[in-house]
Amino acid sequence: MNIVLIFLITIFSVSLFFYGKSKTKTISIKDNIKLNALPKFYGYYIVLWCSIPALVFLLVWSLFEPVIIKSIIIETAANQGAIFSDKNEANLIYEKIKAIHLGTYFGDIDSILKESALAYAKFINLFTNSKVVLIFGIIIASVIYSLKKIKNNNKARDDVEVILKGLLFVSSLIAILTTLGIIFSLLFESIKFFSVINIFDYLFGTNWSPQRAFVRDASSITAAEFEELKDAFGFIPLIAGTSFIAFIAMLVAVPIGLFSGIYMAEYASIKVRRISKPIIEILAGIPTVVYGFFAALTVGPFFRQVGENLGLTVSSESALAAGLIMGIMIIPYVSSLSDDVINSVPQSLRDGSYAVGATKSETIKQVVIPAALPGIIGSVLLAVSRAIGETMIVVMAAGLAANLTINPLESTTTITTQIVMILVGDQEFDSPKTQSAFALGLTLFIATLILNYIAQRAVKKYREKYD
Amino acid sequence: MSNIKIKSKNLNVYYGDKQALFDVNLDLNEKEVTALIGPSGCGKSTFIRCINRMNDVIDICKVTGNIEMDGININDKDLDVVSLRERVGMVFQKPNPFPKSIYDNISYGPKIHGKGETKSELDQIVENSLKKSALWEEVKDRLDEPGTSLSGGQQQRLCIARAISVNPEVILMDEPCSALDPIATAKIEELIDELKKTYTIVIVTHSMAQAVRVSQKTGFFHLGKLIEVGKTEKIFKNPDNKMTQDYITGRFG
Repeated sequence: MNIVLIFLITIFSVSLFFYGKSKTKTISIKDNIKLNALPKFYGYYIVLWCSIPALVFLLVWSLFEPVIIKSIIIETAANQGAIFSDKNEANLIYEKIKAIHLGTYFGDIDSILKESALAYAKFINLFTNSKVVLIFGIIIASVIYSLKKIKNNNKARDDVEVILKGLLFVSSLIAILTTLGIIFSLLFESIKFFSVINIFDYLFGTNWSPQRAFVRDASSITAAEFEELKDAFGFIPLIAGTSFIAFIAMLVAVPIGLFSGIYMAEYASIKVRRISKPIIEILAGIPTVVYGFFAALTVGPFFRQVGENLGLTVSSESALAAGLIMGIMIIPYVSSLSDDVINSVPQSLRDGSYAVGATKSETIKQVVIPAALPGIIGSVLLAVSRAIGETMIVVMAAGLAANLTINPLESTTTITTQIVMILVGDQEFDSPKTQSAFALGLTLFIATLILNYIAQRAVKKYREKYD
Repeated sequence: MSNIKIKSKNLNVYYGDKQALFDVNLDLNEKEVTALIGPSGCGKSTFIRCINRMNDVIDICKVTGNIEMDGININDKDLDVVSLRERVGMVFQKPNPFPKSIYDNISYGPKIHGKGETKSELDQIVENSLKKSALWEEVKDRLDEPGTSLSGGQQQRLCIARAISVNPEVILMDEPCSALDPIATAKIEELIDELKKTYTIVIVTHSMAQAVRVSQKTGFFHLGKLIEVGKTEKIFKNPDNKMTQDYITGRFG
């Protein structure tokens, strides 16, 4: 129904565009007046007036219709003698009524349900009809209004600009509100978690074993259980594993990425650059899940084999394999960002260095890199935050056990892996185990936010210097 | 008559397919200032960049012909560019101090050439260079501040000090005052007068007045050709060539 309405509104407004355009033309010819804007602006004006109010109305109506109908139906059902003690039961009855209406309910239907279903059908009909009537009313009213405006030769150009500005504003508002919504949902769930688990136990605990808290109702926790839970959610092993793997990744990505960035910016001829830059950037386009199974199925077993030959115990899921592959994944970020910052070091600095007799590598080492350093640091920090947030590779290749270790050959785990593990499969939404995922998410979010902030500051500082 | 320091013979420069210099024959006298004038794009800068082989940096640039310094061909493929640039310093159009401290800006060159092995030797080189470029009094108490924190005129004198620091024989100046105000320009011109006692100087300039003020010899370039060269006085008072006459009187260019 809504789709048909949207379609009709669109068709109608588009045809009005041409009407509005030609209408103003005839007005200007007939009355011999100078229009305040080009005819097409009158077309836009009438289109916007005809579509936006109707669409906004439709949106608002669709948001509130189900809520209103639900409260009415639950009330009628109650009046007819339906018994429910809390909100959940009321919801259940409402779902039954809806299912009966749609013909998908196969349980016993008593008279109360039957009556309510009929009432539901009636209300749905009423609401749909009034919706259609109201929308057409709105369209007609706004068309009349805008035609009247057009006939008075209004400043359509300015009005269209104002409306467009409003549209753009609303779009950015939606983006901002969504972000805020995500942050607040993280925050509220985390607060629930921290009402059960002390935040210091979480931040400084060295033992992570959330399965101990599985199937525990947070509201009816006993003192003994609480003591046990206390040290089940220690964050230290996770942040240690995360940083450790990110560190290994950086050991791979920073030298290779930086050196290839320097080569691309300083040494490669235009032809080589044109071919090799896109190839490096392909690395960034490979889905992380592909990297993940490459790490898990090829690199991990290979390391174990090599380790066995050398007489070392290597876990088949190791921090080394995950870190190495993650490093390879991050190379293009470091290389292409540092390539950009090195390129934006002014040629005059290089000339100055060559002119006193410095060679190319001396110039790069002593003038170009120091000049580009803030930007390079920024690009490395961005890569670090990418490494910390990376999920697929570590889920597949790093392991699940929260070992507090600095042996790269052992398996370890990361924040992201644990979030996945906690939320995969069945869970209760109010158990501390599930809520701990939100706490982890929040911590991760804060960590990457800080890193990104520092990185952007560094890049900005660098830009200010040469622009 | 002073000795000839640099002598170019049939010097041709090409940027890809485009020829930028045509058979330039120009002698530069030792411990004298030679000014090169001419409209933009006429090849003045290209010419001086041949003297320290800065054109090597540009991939598509090709130089043919001879350019000799003390009888040795600079344009020889086997010539060591590093030691050439030690002998021929350069100052650019826009002041381009490195994003380092004032001290490091000056000590950069000597370090590269292995001069000033001890700290006190380096200190001495830095002090001398800054004194010669008339900047010492202004910066002696803040040598560890970044070179970029100086004013434009000071930055340009810092760049001159940087060029002097490796003790060159020739200093090339590519429109050194074009980004400076008249007061800073006057200071640089004064400095050039002082420097010519020690160094052979070539200066590219768009200001006739500047050429008259600082140079003993002037060359006029037009469309990649050296049209006329001679004593500055003669070029500006009584040029042989009609084109030179037109240019210096502002009828074209």
